[in-house]
Amino acid sequence: MRQWDWSVPSSGVYREVVSSMPAGWANESRSKRTPPLLFIHGLAHGAWCFEENWLPAAAAKGFPSYAVSLRGHGGSGGARKLSRTLLRDYVHDVMQTITELPQPPVLVGHSMGALVAQLVADRYSPRGLVLLTPAPLTGSTPNLWHIAKQRPASAGAAVVGRTLPMTADQLFPGLDPGTARRYVSRLGRESPLVQYQLLGRRHIGPVRCPVMVAGTRSDSLVRERDVERTADAYGVEPAWLTRADGSPIGHDVMLDLGWEQALAEVLGFITAQVMR
Amino acid sequence: MSESPLPWAVIGAGPHGLTALKNLLERGVNAHGFERDSDLGGNWNYHAENSRVYESTHLISTKPFTQFPDFPMPDHYPDYPSHWQVHEYFQSYARHFDLYDHLSLNTEVVQCTPVGGNADDGWDVTVADRITGEQTTSRFAGVVVANGHNWWPKTPQYPGQDSFTGEIRHSAQYKGAEVLRGKRVLVVGAGNTGCDIAVESAQNSKSTVHSTRRGYYYNPKYAFGRPSDQTADLLLAMKLPLALRRIMFKTTLRLTVGDFTRFGLPKPDHDFFETHPIINQQLVYYVGHGDIVPKPDIDHFDESRVVFTDGTEAEIDLVIFATGYLAHFPFLDDDWLNPTGDHPVLARQIFTPRFDNLVVSGLIQPDSGQWTIAHWQGVLIASYAELMRLDPDRAREFYRDVIEQTHVRFTGGANYKDSTRHYYEIAHQEYLVALEGDLAVLEKVSA
Repeated sequence: MRQWDWSVPSSGVYREVVSSMPAGWANESRSKRTPPLLFIHGLAHGAWCFEENWLPAAAAKGFPSYAVSLRGHGGSGGARKLSRTLLRDYVHDVMQTITELPQPPVLVGHSMGALVAQLVADRYSPRGLVLLTPAPLTGSTPNLWHIAKQRPASAGAAVVGRTLPMTADQLFPGLDPGTARRYVSRLGRESPLVQYQLLGRRHIGPVRCPVMVAGTRSDSLVRERDVERTADAYGVEPAWLTRADGSPIGHDVMLDLGWEQALAEVLGFITAQVMR
Repeated sequence: MSESPLPWAVIGAGPHGLTALKNLLERGVNAHGFERDSDLGGNWNYHAENSRVYESTHLISTKPFTQFPDFPMPDHYPDYPSHWQVHEYFQSYARHFDLYDHLSLNTEVVQCTPVGGNADDGWDVTVADRITGEQTTSRFAGVVVANGHNWWPKTPQYPGQDSFTGEIRHSAQYKGAEVLRGKRVLVVGAGNTGCDIAVESAQNSKSTVHSTRRGYYYNPKYAFGRPSDQTADLLLAMKLPLALRRIMFKTTLRLTVGDFTRFGLPKPDHDFFETHPIINQQLVYYVGHGDIVPKPDIDHFDESRVVFTDGTEAEIDLVIFATGYLAHFPFLDDDWLNPTGDHPVLARQIFTPRFDNLVVSGLIQPDSGQWTIAHWQGVLIASYAELMRLDPDRAREFYRDVIEQTHVRFTGGANYKDSTRHYYEIAHQEYLVALEGDLAVLEKVSA
């Protein structure tokens, strides 16, 4: 029972949904085997982070691909009410987006978006669930502590309710400074309430679809052991995303140098596990 | 076990049939649905022969309670969507979950026959194509009955009714206000339909008389600055006791409309939450304007006049009996659903003690939105059907336990008034907690 959802439901806001369709998609008889992909971004990001590389690349491989900006992020509405926004509002936004898709999608969540994807999967059966550098279900308090040891000012800002500052060398260390600066400038604000909610532990019921959990070995925001724990919770082996030369990719696996290899891993999983 | 197990049959493609079908398929239980009309939606398919919605029908519970939890209604729908929107919503649900491929439209189930008399080997389901008339019979592992219980009219009989010179119709034959124009109308019954029609009559007819057996609480659609069902559930979520909730709602009513009896409405003979809630803000408004004249029960008809139990009478051109519906299962034997008195009594409103593979979905009258509960009934049925295939012994054990609780009703602590309309009344939160418990048992054994 979700009494709070019933009695104090999320309000609707304008949602930015960007998409890339495979060539000739509108004319072809659509294959029911090929699921749509729905990408959900992380903390302070927006649909743009997938639009940049992954959406067109996934569409070129034959997958109808969508990315949604959660309220208060990217081009979606709700920025003025961001300070009162909760995780369940994000779940609402994703559920609304799903109902507009022609068939159940594979949910691909990144970081905080991976947590949102899991909360969605707790009430809706997607075709598959892909969790990239996922915010841990056990709560992000140790992560905040980890950040505090390296960058006390960043952690302090988050504690007092400011958006956690994230830098290019945390998110995409492999990019040239110009591109990296451009991406950092697109980062927006995060709801302080959601940041606090991330610190707490969450329980999620059994998920019946195939699950992929992927991390990177050089991530200072979501640590290796967080990824392993999430993978354990679903009884799967974590995948470690690397660049072509084998070096670990940054936290933003869809933007950093090596995004092609990371996407190939994800699509490989979907082809092998979801489309069996 | 055979190579490919028999599918389940789902009778009816209204909300309960659709969600049963969707959840069975999602659990990997092969299933097929049958719908006698040319489109899905059941009662909410306005043009269907057995649809009982009328032009102005809107939901009386708000979206969060009424939608399928895994397929919310669109944000652009209003708090209380119209029946048109509801029908579109069901169509998009069916498209999204690919149900059309598992559904035979224009196909009426005419008979279900338990194989060997005890249904141990499944059911033979005979269907008729409504276009060609051709009948076919196929075998199924089990049957989900979801043909609705708001379509078979219940019409009362009063002395002199047969020689009444005006027109009599049941609300089942009411689709819009045009039949009311210029008439002197009597609306009988204070269900949500009766109140809706009384209000439409006040707006359209020459005069309107509204006959009710007892006084009711007419609840507003909005209270405390938000939809009233959301307020009510907020109070439930805060675990406020029934007595306190009664006081709060009665106080609100008193502060807003005031004393119902002042308008000539009868004083309710029961306490709050003891009858199915009536959500109608406009009725009292029109009574206050004199456009609806409240009357007690009918005593008898006298040619063109109707005489009421208080001795008053009125000249009437058109009588509309908004006197409700009875559950009706033309394709099942009468004694299969544990009839008690004149209605079936089922464990969890789903399972009959007679057969373990004949289940009913939708025989509920919740004090809240319907389809959230429809979804969870569907999940429970699907989970049970899955277990029957994977581990029949454990499924039988679950069935035996649940059947022992056939007498348990979910009243939320209130004593419902004894009336046909309360046969299937449930308190939604208490009922969902029971389903949740059953699911936990089923999932544990299937895990």
